[in-house]
Parts: sequence; structure tokens; C-alpha cells
Amino acid sequence: MPLRRPARSDAWRCGGRLLSALGSAAEIGKRIVVRKTAALSLAYLVAVALAAAFATTVGFDPLSQNLARMLEGPSRDYLFGTDELGRDILARVVYGARTSLITAAGAVTLAASVGVPMGLVAGFFGGWRDAVLMRIVDLKLALPSILLALALIAVLGRSQVAALTAVGLTGVPTFARVARAQVLSLRRRDFVTAVEAFGASSPYLMFRTILPNSWSPILTQMVVLSSVAILLEASLAFLGVGIPPPTPSWGEMLRTGKEYLYESPTYAILPGLMLTLTILSFDTLGRALSAVLEGREDAPVRRGAGPA
Amino acid sequence: MIGYVARRLMQLLPVLLTASALIFGMMYAVPGGPVGVLVGENATPEQIEKVTKEFGLDRPVLVQYADWLGRAMTGDLGHSLHSREPVAKLIGERLPATIQLALTATVIGLLLGVPLAVASALTQGSWFDRGLSGWSALALGVPTFWVGILLILLFAVQLRLLPAASGYVPFWDSPWQMLRNTILPASTLGLYVSGIFARFLRGSLIAELNADYVRTARSKGLVESAIVVRHVMRNALLPFVTIVGIMLAGFIGGAVVTEAVFTYPGMGRLVIQAIGSRDYPLIQGCILVILVGYMLINLAVDVLYVYIDPRIDYG
Amino acid sequence: MPDPVLTIRSLSVTFVGPGGIVPAVRGVDLEVHENEVVGIVGESGSGKSVTALAVAGLLPPSARVTGSIVLAGREVVGAPREALRLMRGQDIGVIFQDPTTTLNPLMPVGSQVVEGELAHGRLRVDEAWPRAVELLREVEIADPAGRAAQYPHQFSGGMRQRAVIAMAMAGRPKLIVADEPTTALDVTVQAQVLALLARRQAATGAAAILISHDLGLVAEVAHRVAVMYGGRIVETGSAHDIFKRPRHPYTAALLKSAPRIEAAEGRLDPIPGQPPTPTDLPAGCSFHPRCAIGAHRPRCRAEEPPFRSVAAHGVACHFAEEVAAPATIDAPAAARRPSVGQGEALLEVEGLKIHFPIKAGLLRRVIRTVRAVDGVSLRIAPGETLGLVGESGCGKTTTGRAIMGLIPVTGGSIRFRGRAIENAGRDVLREARREMQYVFQDPYSSLNPMLAVGDAVAEPLRIHGCYDEMGGARWIARLFEMVGLSPSVAHRQPREFSGGQKQRIGIARALALKPRLLILDEPVASLDVSIQAQIVNLLQDLQRELGLAYLFIAHDLSVVKHMSDRVAVMYLGRIVEQSDKATLYASPLHPYTQALLSAVPAPDPSGRRRRIVLAGEIPNPASPPSGCHFHPRCFRAGPRCAVEPPTFEPQPGSPTLRACHFAGPLEATRGAAGAAS
Repeated sequence: MPLRRPARSDAWRCGGRLLSALGSAAEIGKRIVVRKTAALSLAYLVAVALAAAFATTVGFDPLSQNLARMLEGPSRDYLFGTDELGRDILARVVYGARTSLITAAGAVTLAASVGVPMGLVAGFFGGWRDAVLMRIVDLKLALPSILLALALIAVLGRSQVAALTAVGLTGVPTFARVARAQVLSLRRRDFVTAVEAFGASSPYLMFRTILPNSWSPILTQMVVLSSVAILLEASLAFLGVGIPPPTPSWGEMLRTGKEYLYESPTYAILPGLMLTLTILSFDTLGRALSAVLEGREDAPVRRGAGPA
Repeated sequence: MIGYVARRLMQLLPVLLTASALIFGMMYAVPGGPVGVLVGENATPEQIEKVTKEFGLDRPVLVQYADWLGRAMTGDLGHSLHSREPVAKLIGERLPATIQLALTATVIGLLLGVPLAVASALTQGSWFDRGLSGWSALALGVPTFWVGILLILLFAVQLRLLPAASGYVPFWDSPWQMLRNTILPASTLGLYVSGIFARFLRGSLIAELNADYVRTARSKGLVESAIVVRHVMRNALLPFVTIVGIMLAGFIGGAVVTEAVFTYPGMGRLVIQAIGSRDYPLIQGCILVILVGYMLINLAVDVLYVYIDPRIDYG
Repeated sequence: MPDPVLTIRSLSVTFVGPGGIVPAVRGVDLEVHENEVVGIVGESGSGKSVTALAVAGLLPPSARVTGSIVLAGREVVGAPREALRLMRGQDIGVIFQDPTTTLNPLMPVGSQVVEGELAHGRLRVDEAWPRAVELLREVEIADPAGRAAQYPHQFSGGMRQRAVIAMAMAGRPKLIVADEPTTALDVTVQAQVLALLARRQAATGAAAILISHDLGLVAEVAHRVAVMYGGRIVETGSAHDIFKRPRHPYTAALLKSAPRIEAAEGRLDPIPGQPPTPTDLPAGCSFHPRCAIGAHRPRCRAEEPPFRSVAAHGVACHFAEEVAAPATIDAPAAARRPSVGQGEALLEVEGLKIHFPIKAGLLRRVIRTVRAVDGVSLRIAPGETLGLVGESGCGKTTTGRAIMGLIPVTGGSIRFRGRAIENAGRDVLREARREMQYVFQDPYSSLNPMLAVGDAVAEPLRIHGCYDEMGGARWIARLFEMVGLSPSVAHRQPREFSGGQKQRIGIARALALKPRLLILDEPVASLDVSIQAQIVNLLQDLQRELGLAYLFIAHDLSVVKHMSDRVAVMYLGRIVEQSDKATLYASPLHPYTQALLSAVPAPDPSGRRRRIVLAGEIPNPASPPSGCHFHPRCFRAGPRCAVEPPTFEPQPGSPTLRACHFAGPLEATRGAAGAAS
């Protein structure tokens, strides 16, 4: 699988590493797409992302109101009906994808950037650093995420950034735990001790030896957490504290949809469906990643001093 | 045993203290500080002075904190800014409703999830297993509020069988009414949690099925069903207890969204209302109670473990 | 002669899976009679374990089995599951390798021991508990009644394996299958458990199959031996014949390549290459690429040799007559090593103590101290090899790591080239580490999976910032060549290499900074026997070529004998005996050394020696016995030993240093030997 490397200077080495990394990525990608559900999920997510990105060019208009045609069911003009201000539900759903995906991406990045170093430091040094950091993590875990997010919104107010931050911070404990578990499991492994025996410093050990070997659970967690982030953002919107209108958001649409459940039973269906499918897709993809990546690490036939 | 419990309580203490300090400190994070909270933004200096004196806000922060903590430990959590009622009373009204919902949801989750997991693990790899796994992924992934809405749509709007908005009816008052009111929100939550239970237990069972000691049991010539029940189930159920505890604990206050969908009068809705109206004493009281509840349930699980896991030595 | 208990004819086992078809066993014929122990010897990939599982009917559903296995008159292959189930426990009992995972951690040991019998209805419920106690007594577990109610985690490793033996034999099976039953145990405990197994087998008259990769073990216990390679049996015969006069090139080569404790030292004769994996079998005779006789013969390349029987000796080789007997074990003499031990000491360790506090309770108070290393002194001169031997928990690995600066030292001193390095600051350590390096045991975990092997070997140079100064890529290429690998593989990932190759890479990495001292921690323990010899030879060659000194840490006394100039024996944190190699092996003075040496199984059936079997097991380092740590297990202990720890001092009239009140040669105390056997 690794590719031939022609020469030995540093630049070539980096290039070679990048190529071999891409090669491995392709290999993983192939193993994932073999699983049908994962392939479907990936396709769906790509489609949603594209739709969200190019929504304007395609001509979706989530904002124009047509008060004459409020709360209608599906029709030829409005494929999924209209909302209480006569806006096109389908268009609003497509734009809602933007909100969800941006929030998810931002939140996951924030959570990883804060959580992973926390976990690395806690696991690597142990002692009081571990005790303190892990107590903080335990604390966060004791409070249901939604309440923590609500409390943070109460302090930060309502905005895209606030939503992103609140959701992101609730994800920190997960990354901290994953990173810490990785450090603990790898810290005593011979290849880490070997580098320590050469005289490497602690930051070198943490970030250049252990972290690169931890990328698979962290990546998996990022995908899984994306599904949680989307759910959390939608929940906040449903409770009325999400991103302020008129920005379309699936949670917000479900909130309104519930109010008008008797008048327009179909209102809430599409946003809920999109939300569900997106969450499920991230979740499925995450699990496929975890299955593929975990299997990969044990690739060579292991021989002990034991039976053949 | 008492020693063990005492030791665990002692370990929880620092966490509780930190938590309470953070909760108490929340008031200061808000623009205007606690004074602003109490009198609003356009207050006259006289009003500010009056409130400061009345609530002792001119004392050092630590003293205020100690005072608050002391009163909290005796059950006095202050008064709601809006209704002027004691926070403890408000919480006391909502807590039983939440507990009832939590227990019912957990029971439903177990009834659905455990047989699913067992069937799945025993037929590992078959289309049946894959279907069940897909089902549990669905149960996990579908947002509870959507499920709630759909259930309301079906049972309340279309079939008009059950109420759209659920009230709290204690079980011992009228089981039938309790069921009518609780079944929809409990099923919503129960569905979600059954997915988690099924997934976790399935993984646990499969891991145990592949363990060496199962191979040993087979080599002794035990019947497969005996192996599953006596060896695999018992070993797999052990870590499962922790998950059940965590989920149950999470329902105290974590079922916010479902409670909102069904307008169920539980702790979650209380917290939302408190946050919405910036009723800080109420927020503080609720969060404190939720945290304490979570920790107590986890402690109970730990104690249970001492009884059921022979490897734990609490000496 | 009565019918054999077990008859295997043309057994083939193939695994069918997503990875393809794996032919694990390709045509095995075997017979085992009552009261007979048949040993099956082989390395990884030979198919020995799969054969055992097939006999017990315990193969996974992905296995396709053809051929015939007749056990106690009933056919196993293709038998319905229910029939197989009924067979187990009564006709066959299985002993697995790892006693820790073989028992259910949540069930009392006594219940597990009689569970099979109860399930089959051969025991009534009220009889079960007394029977469990009795079975435990049979395997010589002290206080069987109390132990039966305990859980596996409360048993020590050796005790657990005894319980497993009791469990397997509870139904008095006609056939016992033991798959590497002692591999996971310490040497002295191995001896105990093996002796026990032999006794129980003799007492019940059962037939037994003993599977192992350890030739010596099999030679000691088995009556007949079958050697497996590449999924087939390549030779069978009586234990005596196989080891004295092997007829298959593989058997002969295996015997020659294994380090022997009675052998003169010198170069080992390794088998080139490595054992094939079942998916990758060579065409024709599966051994031919590594065979001294058949590597270039067209017949061996083309045609798989059939199995022929000559008297009671069978062999599958085209040219069996050409196989030379190992005759006297006259290995080629080692080349003289230039001035070993000359000059000022490279490493001097004085009174090294490493204690780990155990903290518990709310305030994390120290309740006990694990004295992992409790006063160790040693000295290594440039170019010489000091072997450090001991069983698990003796502190040898801890000593090695402390010398490397990886573990803080509680007391004593470590001087490297005259400079004190115990608990030293980063700069002092850095300098020392340029000249002192470490080679790890497990090749599978000692290389960073994310780095190409060339980068891994270069990493120490980069950390010290001297990559170019040492010669850059050219030096790396040279390192690869030195360890017998082609430089062109430097860009590959670790997972593409075999265990032996990875170990070579680990050695190359350790040599990158041109150290003067290498600390090797069990460098060959995880490798197949035939590969071990390759690495041992490599290490010896490198030592000669580069003038390296070695601290060779191991538990395998045969390998240590080959590698070392001087040897120190450790027990529970202390060195109990230290001497030059010849003296230590020829006339050990400390009872523990004597027991250890006698416990090593050797593939020389003519000398079924009287073994010294020690009582008890290795104590917990957190609560060592008082006085001399060894006294509870010592066959020479006197009242003084429990009170006064012996000092480590020279034995009058001998180069040996030892710590014992009653040190002396074994003959003088013959009568006392064989305690608790």
C-alpha cells in the first residue's frame, strides 16, 4: 500500500508521508463504502452539504412571505407546503441544513481543540493534573448536556456563535475522556517508552508520538459527536433558545410545527425527517469508521509464545 | 460497608463543593451581577441600595457563598424571583413527577432493549441481527421531540385516544390516569433509551460470548442455553447496571425536551422556565438538586456493585 | 495391544472466511493409546492447536473438517452437536493455555470444577460440593475446602492452572488434551504443574496429548512425539528417537537451533527464514525453502513428500536418509572476542533500591511498599555481557529500566562511565542515553505504527539533533545492513514485517547513536524458536564487530547461557548468586539457582533428571517473607533463614558471589532435594 519514495531529502519525506497518508485514507474509504448503510449515509450527507452550499444558486428562497397561502399542505408550487408566514417549507429546510452543519462543524472543532489537549495532559502526567481535570469532566457529565447548553445560552445570549460555543463546550468531556484513554493505553507501550529512552521531551511524547497514534478514535468521535451536536442545536431551537429568526433552523421549525399541529399536520414532518436522517447518517458513519479503524490496527497476524 | 459508603461520599464532596461554587458564581457572570438580577436594568440607586442591604449583597463573596451553602444544606434554597415561593417547594412539586417519568421510561427501555440485545447477540451476523441493530440505531438517532410530535399526531390528533398535553397523576392516585398521561412521554424516552441499552448490552454479550471461559464451558459439555444464562448473561449484565444507572440519573432534568413536547410538569420544564425568566435562585436550586440526584444514583449503583461483583473488595 | 483411545486419519481443517481460504491442517494421522502421552511440537502456523481443537470438536463454525477422528470408538468429524457435547467431560477433557481467562471470573472455582459433571448428570447436587473439594485436593491445592469457595482472582497463576487441570479431569476422561498448559507460568511453577499433570495422568491411566512449542518440555513428559510443520505432521517417533536421531531436516534443524543448557556455548545454528503462515505455504514440501538439504532440489520444490513409516518412526521427507544426527552437541566454537572485560567499568550499580508505595484510602496514605528492587549491585565492563535472570516479579526488568533512567530510583547509585545517573537531570540523562540504549521484548509494540521503519530507526538521531552528523540516510542504510535487512525496505510500515524482522529493526534503532552499552529486555522471548537463534547470533556478531557491552535480561536460562560472559540470578528484588557463566551453570551454589537450573526442560530424553520441584509460588513483592526472601520455598532452609537476611558476598574458594546461609554444591544436599515433589 505505501508508495515508492524516490529520494531522501526532507521535502520528499513529507511529500511521501502525505501520499502514503492519502493512500491509507483511500484504503479506509474503500472499506467503509463496502458497508451499504455507511455508503448511503455518506452519500446522503454529501448531498445535503452540497444542497446547503448551493441553495441560493439553485433558487431556494426561504425568506419571501406569501401571506395569502399560509399553512398549506403540499402542493405543486410548494412541494412541502408553507409555514405560518407563507414561506416555502422546503426552502427553509434546505437552508436549515446550513445552520445545522455549520453549528456541528464549529462545535466539534471547538470541543476537540479544548478536550483533546485536556485529556492528553491529564493522562500523560497523572497526579493532581489528572485529578483536577477529570473532576471537571465528571462535573460536566453529571449535568445533562441540554441543561448545560441552556445555562450557557442564558449567559451568552442567542446567536450563531453562542449556539456553537454552548454545544461545543458540552462536547469537551467526551474528547477529554477519549484522549485520556488513548494516552493511558499507549503510554506504557514499548514504542513510546523507546522514544522516551532516547531522551524525548514530554511535549514530543504527547504530541508527536502518542497523538498521531490516537487519530482514529478521535476522528470517530468527531463524526459521532457531530450527530450529537446537531441534535443538541435542534433541541435548543425547539426550546426557543436557538439561533434567532429569521435564520431557518430545523429545531425552530419543529417548534412552530408543533404549535400548528392541528392546522397543518404536515408542517413538522419534513424538518423532522431531515433532522433524523442527518443525525442517523452521522451516527452510522461514525460506527462504520470505528469498526473499520479498530479492525485495522490489529492487522498483522499476531504470534505469541503460544499455540499456532 | 458503611465505611465504603462514607468513603465514597467523601469523594463526592469536593465535586459537590466545586459544583455549588460554580452554580453560586453563575449569578456573577451575568451582566449587572446579582443586584441587576434582582432589580432589573433600570433601577434607581435607592432601589439598588435597598436590595443590596436586604439580601446582604455587600458582604464578601465568600461569606455570601458560605451562607448560601449553609442554607442549602438545611433545605432552604431561597425564593423564586417571580413567584416569590420557596424554591424548595417548587422543586418538591415537580420532582415526584420527574421521578415517575424517569422510572417508567427506564422500565419501558429495559423491556424493549434487553430482549432485543439478547436476540441480536445470539444470532450475531444474521439478517435478523442486522435488522435489530438497525432498529436500535433508529431508536437512538431519532430526535425525541420528533418522536413525541409524531406520537401526539397519531394518538391525540388522529385517534384522539390520549391527551396531547400530559399532566402529573401519581401512580397511587389513579393507575389508569397515570398510565394515560405518562405513556406517551415515557414511551418517547423509553424508545430512545432502549436503543442505548440494546446497543450496549449487545456489545457486552458478544464480548462475553467470545471469552475464553465460554470456550471452557463448551469443552465441559454444557448445553448452550446453560452457558448463555449462567455464564454469559451474568457477566454481561454486570457493566450493564452502570449504564442503566447513568440513564436513569440523566432523566432527572435531562428529559427537558420531551417534557417540553408534552408539557409535562417535571424538573426539566421548571429549569427551562427558570432560565427563560432569568430566575436565578430557581435555576441554582434546580441545578443543585439535579446534580445531587445524579451523584446519589451513581453512588447507589456503586454500592450495588459491591454486592454483585465478587472481585470488588471494599475493605 | 488394545485399540487406541484416539485415532486420527487424514484430518484436514480449512477455515473459510472473508479473507479467503486458510488451510490450517492438511492431512494429519495420529494414534494415542491409553496411558500414553503424545507430544505435538510445532511453531506458529504449524496447525497444532487447530488439531487439538478439532479433536475436542471445539472449532468455530467457519471451519471445514474432513477426515476421521475416532475417540473412544465414536466418530467426531461430522457428529451432531449433541453427540459431541455428551462426549465432553467423559471422553475428553481439555486444558487450555491461559488460566486467567479460562475460568469465569464471577463464579466460585469449586462450582466451575464440578459444573460439567453436574450438567451431565453424573453428579447429584448434594454430592457436588464434596466432590469439588476432593478434586481440588487431588491437584494438591492446600486448604481445598476454603479454596473451593473462592474466586479465580484470589488464586495465583499456578493454582489456577491446577484448578483447570482438576476441572478437565473431573469426569475421568479417557483423553486429555493439554494445549500449551504451562507456557503462561513461571519456570519453577511450570515444573510443579507439569509434574502434577504427569502424576494425574498416570493415576487415571488416561491418554494424553501435550501440545507445545517447547522441545524440552515435550521431551521430558511425552512417550511419543509428533512434529508438525505447515499444517502436516512431518515426523513421529518415540521421544528418545526423535531427539537422539531425528529423521526430518526440520526436526534436526530445530534441535540444532535451540539453545541448550547442557550444550557448549557458541554460535547457534539457526534455520533461515521464518515459519510459513497457512495462507502462504510454499509449493511442494512446505519446509523446502528453509531446508539445508532440499532448498535447491527440484523434487522438494515440486512434490510434497508422503508420510512413510519405518518401524515406529514415521517421516515425510524425500531425503530422510541424508539427515545427520545431531550427534554430540558440538556447536562451532565461538570466535575469540577481543579483550572482554578489560578496562574501567562501563556501568556500575551499587545497592540499587526501587520501591513503589501503594497508596490507598481517602487521604492516599502509603499502606505498603512494593520493594521491586531491594539492594542490587552489578558491574559491566566494556565489551562484556552480563546476563540477568529471574522469574516474574524478581525485579530484573525494573532494574533495566531504572538504569536507563525510565524509573525513579529510591536508593543506591548507578554510575555510567563514571558519572552518576540515578535520578539525574535531563541533560545528564541525555548525554548518557547517547551511549546506552534499550531493546524491548515485544517486537509488535516496540515500533511506532505510524512511522515508516526507516524513520523509526532515525528517530533517536533526530531527537538528539545529530542526524546529519552521524551520516544521515547513508548511516541508516548501513544500520539496516548490519542487522541483516535490505536498506530498500526502509520506507515500509512496521506491520509489513514479521516478528523477527521487527526485532532486527528495533536493534538497528538501538544502535543508531553508536552506544557502548545495550540493555536488552527479553529480546527473543516473543519469537519462534527457529527465529530466536537468528537473533541471538546477530546479537553476538554485533557485539564482536562493534565492541558493545550487553545487559541481557531474560528468564530463559538456555539463551542466557549462550549470550553471557557473567550471569546474575535475581529473586524477589535481590541478586542471590552471581558468577562467570561456566561456574554458575556447572556448580551453582544458591538453592534457588540450583532449582531454577534443574527446572529447565531439556530436549535430551536420555537424561530424565531428578528435578528439584520447589514448593509454593513466588511471593508477592509487596509482602516478601522475612529474613531471606527465599526461605519458605527453600529445601535447605534453617531457622536462621527466617530471621536474618544473608549478605551478598563471595563464596570462599570460588569466583561466585552469593547471598545464602547454606550455600554449597548440590551433591552435598542430595538427600534434602526433591522437597514437596
